Amino acid sequence: MNYLAIVIGAVFVGNIVLAQFLGICPFLGVSKKVETAAGMSMAVTFVMLLASIITYGLWEGVLKPLSLEYMQTIVFILVIATLVQLVELFVKKASPSLYEALGVYLPLITTNCAVLGIAILNIQKGFNLLELIVHTLSVSLGFGMAIILFAGIRERLVLSDVPNAFKDFPVALITAGLMAIAFLGFSGFSII
Amino acid sequence: MKKILKTIKNGIANENPIFVQLLGMCPTLAVTTSAKNGLAMGLATTAVLLCSNFAISVLRKFIPDKIRIPAFIVIVATFVSVVKMLMNAYAIDLYNELGLFIPLIVVNCLILGRAEAYASKNGPISSLADGLGMGLGFALSLTILGSVREIFGAGKIFGLALFGQAYQPAIIMILPPGAFLALGLLIALYNNFKSKKKIS
Amino acid sequence: MKEMLGLGLKLFIITAVSALVLGFTNSITAPVIAENERIMNEETRKEMLEVADKFEKVDVDKENILEVYKGLKDNEVVGYVIKTATKGYGGDVVVMIGIDSEGIIKRAKVVKHAETPGLGANAKNPEFIDQYSEKNVKMNIEVVKNNPTDEQIQAITGATITSKAVTKGINAAVNLFNNELNQ
Repeated sequence: MNYLAIVIGAVFVGNIVLAQFLGICPFLGVSKKVETAAGMSMAVTFVMLLASIITYGLWEGVLKPLSLEYMQTIVFILVIATLVQLVELFVKKASPSLYEALGVYLPLITTNCAVLGIAILNIQKGFNLLELIVHTLSVSLGFGMAIILFAGIRERLVLSDVPNAFKDFPVALITAGLMAIAFLGFSGFSII
Repeated sequence: MKKILKTIKNGIANENPIFVQLLGMCPTLAVTTSAKNGLAMGLATTAVLLCSNFAISVLRKFIPDKIRIPAFIVIVATFVSVVKMLMNAYAIDLYNELGLFIPLIVVNCLILGRAEAYASKNGPISSLADGLGMGLGFALSLTILGSVREIFGAGKIFGLALFGQAYQPAIIMILPPGAFLALGLLIALYNNFKSKKKIS
Repeated sequence: MKEMLGLGLKLFIITAVSALVLGFTNSITAPVIAENERIMNEETRKEMLEVADKFEKVDVDKENILEVYKGLKDNEVVGYVIKTATKGYGGDVVVMIGIDSEGIIKRAKVVKHAETPGLGANAKNPEFIDQYSEKNVKMNIEVVKNNPTDEQIQAITGATITSKAVTKGINAAVNLFNNELNQ
């Protein structure tokens, strides 16, 4: 498997937020300030990587051998929920300021469809462990890039004169749409 | 009875999951490439929401507060898996088109949100009403968004061609950016409509 | 301590009940899913190679190739039906191709896809997929935007990736036929 193709594919061509629509809730919810966006993407990267590796291990080691594939959804989401709890406890102890900044958004990583989505996608695409790690890291890189870029734009939007009906979310969505159009330019980009 | 109807209407209009609460964004943007897909996803989510709201409401005295989130997740995930298996067996084409987003219903913040905000604090019948209202509101919004994208992006609705051969659709509407643009414009329209209502 | 045990027990009960529900649903739906799949495959194979009255599986391990079936009529090989999977825009595009023993592609069908409705999903339509019928396997097929020659097919407007994915599957089948099956 061409690792460069995986990276470029995950960061640009099939950007997790702008092309695959995973992780929209935090994308829209945590992108008001660049700092919080950066913090969130680091937390997501951490959870996503651990979750992907653990769920892969459980899938190959337990679910598949025991023909329990139909338990995928429930097992995966429980792993993620547990991981988020642990990360929350860890961040609380290690960096109280980051914990304050992320606030309610940290437990919300559990419902971040990107984390569960990537865990499932890794299995669907049949990656081995190394490809999985490269893929997941690239995906979170793409997520971080999208959310930080978006936050940068939104910080400026707050200062401009937006029509009332468009204030806050509508103009944010349209901005995201324009970003998505820009990223569309990468489609068809193939190095395989 | 009046209260039940009010609860249902609340979910469809005042607290519409998508246009007002902005919950459940991921499937909203991803599967609304056609009216049919939007409706299918909306109905699948409604099914899960009805079941989970009911189950959680019935069990609300049994589930300890400290473990309520994991418990909710297990219950919702169970119903999602059941819906997934049923669709795979009896609606395979829709199953393939909705793909990854069927299991992702479990992380639809709408479902956990209603479990936390309503079902864990109210009786089974009103929880069912709340689930029905929110679910229908969600399904309606998805169908509207899907229709808008399908009409402008493919000149069709529910697969039926609306315009003649000469119509050049704006394909961008079916592609990812179209989702953002369409939803942004629809919410702006909704906000505008709401503020005009307030003035009058 | 006692409290934790109590919490753990309750969570375990909830999880156990849901595992039971899932196991039960699975036992009902899994056979239906498998049977649907089997029937769909059999019927499609017959559509792809109408001259055959029986199909036998052939073991093949090659990239993009999912399944190969030998088509037989009165116990003589009259062609092959090959199932391929290639990466499209939204996921794998699975195509079934019927090639007769003379090396002519009889028919192709997009069996499974996750492409965009209104765009790549139109690969299922006859206007697109029937372009491959009656093509010779002596050369790989190319995708062009318009005015295709005999060794080319026209892409779906706005869905080049899907068109290329389908063609890649067809070519994989063609190469397999030329290099291994038709010996």
